Amino acid sequence: MSAIITARGLRKQYGKRSAIDNLNFSIEAGRIVGLIGPNGSGKTTTLKAILGLTSFEGELSVLGMDPRQQRDALMNDICFIADVAILPKWLKVKQALDFVAGVHPRFDRSKAEKYLVQTKLDPEMKVKAMSKGMVVQLHLALVMAIDARLLVLDEPTLGLDILYRKQFYQHLLEDYFDENKTILITTHQIEEVEHILSDLMFIRDGKIELSATMDEVSERYTEVMVEAASLAAAQALQPLHQRAVFGKTIMLFDGVPREQLANLGELRTPALADLFVATMKGSYA
Amino acid sequence: MNTMKWLIKREMWEHKGMLLWTPVVVASLVAILAITSIFLGKNASFADAQQAFSIGTITIEGKARMVMVDTIAHGYIMAAAPVLALLSLLVFFYCLGALHDERRDRSLLFWKSLPVSDTATVTSKAILALVVAPLITMLVAIALALVILVAGCVLLLSHGTNLFGGLLLDPALYLSPLRLLTLLPVYIIWALPTVGWLLMVSSMARSKVFLWAVGTPVITSLLLMWADRILQLGLDGGWFTAHITNRILLGVVPGSWMGFEMDNVLQHVRNEHLAPFESIYYASWHTLTSPSAWIGAAAGLAMLAIAIRMRQRREEV
Repeated sequence: MSAIITARGLRKQYGKRSAIDNLNFSIEAGRIVGLIGPNGSGKTTTLKAILGLTSFEGELSVLGMDPRQQRDALMNDICFIADVAILPKWLKVKQALDFVAGVHPRFDRSKAEKYLVQTKLDPEMKVKAMSKGMVVQLHLALVMAIDARLLVLDEPTLGLDILYRKQFYQHLLEDYFDENKTILITTHQIEEVEHILSDLMFIRDGKIELSATMDEVSERYTEVMVEAASLAAAQALQPLHQRAVFGKTIMLFDGVPREQLANLGELRTPALADLFVATMKGSYA
Repeated sequence: MNTMKWLIKREMWEHKGMLLWTPVVVASLVAILAITSIFLGKNASFADAQQAFSIGTITIEGKARMVMVDTIAHGYIMAAAPVLALLSLLVFFYCLGALHDERRDRSLLFWKSLPVSDTATVTSKAILALVVAPLITMLVAIALALVILVAGCVLLLSHGTNLFGGLLLDPALYLSPLRLLTLLPVYIIWALPTVGWLLMVSSMARSKVFLWAVGTPVITSLLLMWADRILQLGLDGGWFTAHITNRILLGVVPGSWMGFEMDNVLQHVRNEHLAPFESIYYASWHTLTSPSAWIGAAAGLAMLAIAIRMRQRREEV
């Protein structure tokens, strides 16, 4: 399988501060990749570089093209939803459909309309009059009707209530995603995307801290509810992170075989959120 | 080409209120005012160089009526001058916002997520300012002029002076609106520097677009004049004002070329001895023989190119 995105030595400075610093990664086709990091870690800058919305140094190839030089052609194959409310206020639902159908060669209008029927949006409604959730529904309807190879989502569900959020990812998985498509998501709401991701990238201070498939993650990391008697033995294995819950100590181990951990206590696969906290330790210190 | 059609439609959706309804509303107000004043018996007067007619007092017949018909047929479009003057404001403020608002409300990110080049987008905005907006305004102006013409003639008719027959047979009645419309190319050439400048500033400024657009050239002019006066540097502030400041700020005023090329126009009028309104028309076209028209247009295009570059690079504010 060929790589959809390859970055080598990707770098971007804002004044003296570097937003991303020597990023190297590649994303294969047919994956759902979560790019996860704290505020200001360089997530959005990375996405902008991929979308040709910002200048950068280093090498970046997206669908075999350079986003700096070939953005217009690239946009035939990429879709993009930034955090809510980038649709202009004056736009009507009908106009949005007309316009995208007019300029996008891969837009399937009937598909978008089919999706919109399930919502409360009507063709004459203006973005101004919509709730945040409805704006995202409209945007999602537009994007899902475009047969693109790469979908980039930047905090797509920010500020939405739980119903809209669930619905958003559900539609994405059921009606949009297939093996020819690749989805790249940044979000703070890790719990929400945890179950749909196939790959994971943790980014901190403009550097990739962890890049792995979800299978690798569950193989590599183990959480143990350590029995009080085994605390010392567990400490000796150098846990990545430990926390106390209801009087029990939960430790997170990186690369320690499960057989070895089994007699320390109950084992489980860590939630991404916990893994994230462990990995980002000291980010705000 | 198809993309361009949708881009222009898109601009019209966004700015319909400003570009269509403003001239229509202003035209309606002018029409109401004019008609009220006509029928309340105020003495509207039509004047040309030799004679002035005061209507409502006498019945006009014979040669006097022919002169009157001819003057009206040539000049009735001027009744819509307020609407045409409005065009400058519309184009000015449209251009100021064109590339700035989308960055401010972040809709830029949406537009940029579609396969539309920055060149196409900026071009569509320039076309809107230079062609679509003037055409709309001109058509509204022509409609207004016709309404006022008819109202005026009805009033005269009530006093026994029938101008309808004469007017309808006068080719000038039909030529006048055509002349107005065919001045569009002249307008485009003279408005290009201003449209280019405004779109460029709109694409660059992070905030206070109006201040940047107007302040920069005006303050430069004042500084140059001050430096010239006080420091005797021999800088020609007057030249700068006439050739730069005025051209990049006032080019969108319909008829601006009459001011920019006053000598050219006056000379043309003196040499050709045409009737007043014909004279204006041909003199307008004649201003295009001046190199400064084309230098300005080229500068306008260059500034548009910069605006395209800026839109490629600038992120949302």
